[in-house]
Amino acid sequence: MLEICKTLHLTFGVGEVLAAKNGEEGFEIFRKENPDIVLADWMMHPTDGISLTRRIRNDSRSPNHYVPIILMTGFSEKKRVMQARDSGVTEFLVKPFTARDLYKRIAQIIERPRQFVRSEDFFGPDRRRKADAAYNGPYKRESDAKLAAAQKQRMREASLHLDTLRQKAGISKGSKIDMSGDDIDFS
Amino acid sequence: MTDKNDDHFNLTPRRKAEFFMPPNHLKNKVGFGGLSDDILNKAQALLENNTADFRPLGEMYLESMMRGVEHVKALPDSMANDDASIASILFPVMQLKANGGMFHYNLVTLIADRLVQFLEVIETIDKDAIEIIQAFHTTIRAILLGQIKGDGGTRGLDLLDALNAACYRYFEKYPEKKRS
Repeated sequence: MLEICKTLHLTFGVGEVLAAKNGEEGFEIFRKENPDIVLADWMMHPTDGISLTRRIRNDSRSPNHYVPIILMTGFSEKKRVMQARDSGVTEFLVKPFTARDLYKRIAQIIERPRQFVRSEDFFGPDRRRKADAAYNGPYKRESDAKLAAAQKQRMREASLHLDTLRQKAGISKGSKIDMSGDDIDFS
Repeated sequence: MTDKNDDHFNLTPRRKAEFFMPPNHLKNKVGFGGLSDDILNKAQALLENNTADFRPLGEMYLESMMRGVEHVKALPDSMANDDASIASILFPVMQLKANGGMFHYNLVTLIADRLVQFLEVIETIDKDAIEIIQAFHTTIRAILLGQIKGDGGTRGLDLLDALNAACYRYFEKYPEKKRS
């Protein structure tokens, strides 16, 4: 697997790929070489990918606490993803993966880097995804689409209610008015 | 109107968090423009054409999985419920799921994935759960010995269905053992 990942990176055009058999060795290489990206496997002995991530983020000997870390694993359950996220990984890559999956994670790190957060109990990439106001594509979750539809309906109803109020008050949209709240029946 | 009891004013103060954007040195290094489809196809072909033999690795994970099963079997009932005991079986199964598909054994990934889901939701490992785990173990071993690559076709999916059915029957029998 180590060889496959190494060759994949070289095919992507990465200049130099440094390999380590476990998190312990990985941290030592990281300290000496200060690489641009870390790709770690969750399951390594004696130091696993989660512990390696914590060391890179928090150890005073770490040369770059902000280095992007991609964690590879077979786990895909929500609690495991959260565990990885809370340790400070930047991206999560579920195995088995395709070359495009790996490329997408790397591209995400370069093109849409996450801001960092330092709080009382966490240091690492911002765990929230930024909302893109210009986004007009499909929603990832069905519940998001439902919420958006409900919000749209509420806005439509509010707009109709506003039209009724305007009608009652005898004004049209955009008219300048000079009256107090007591002049209008809001019921 | 708001009053003193309004929830908004009774919230505990938010924890202080500092946000900052580290410099994107990587972007400066790689410049603009992504990888071409040709390069990505070449990388994918490299993955698909790798000739590494997964069987020794698979056997190692299966052995590790059985060591976990034996460990749990040897424990008194009260001690077989902790996360460490489940993890001793779960972790090698996760490795089978993760790596099977990377080395052309997609059916191993599909079956191991089902077992990972089963192990992630059970709270205790009892005799019936062990029987199910052993059934998964035997099936994966047979796939490796028979060198059944890909998804195994109709027979592979039948195997998966049968193992799925065993998990469903377990939860029908012990609905209380499913973690919420």
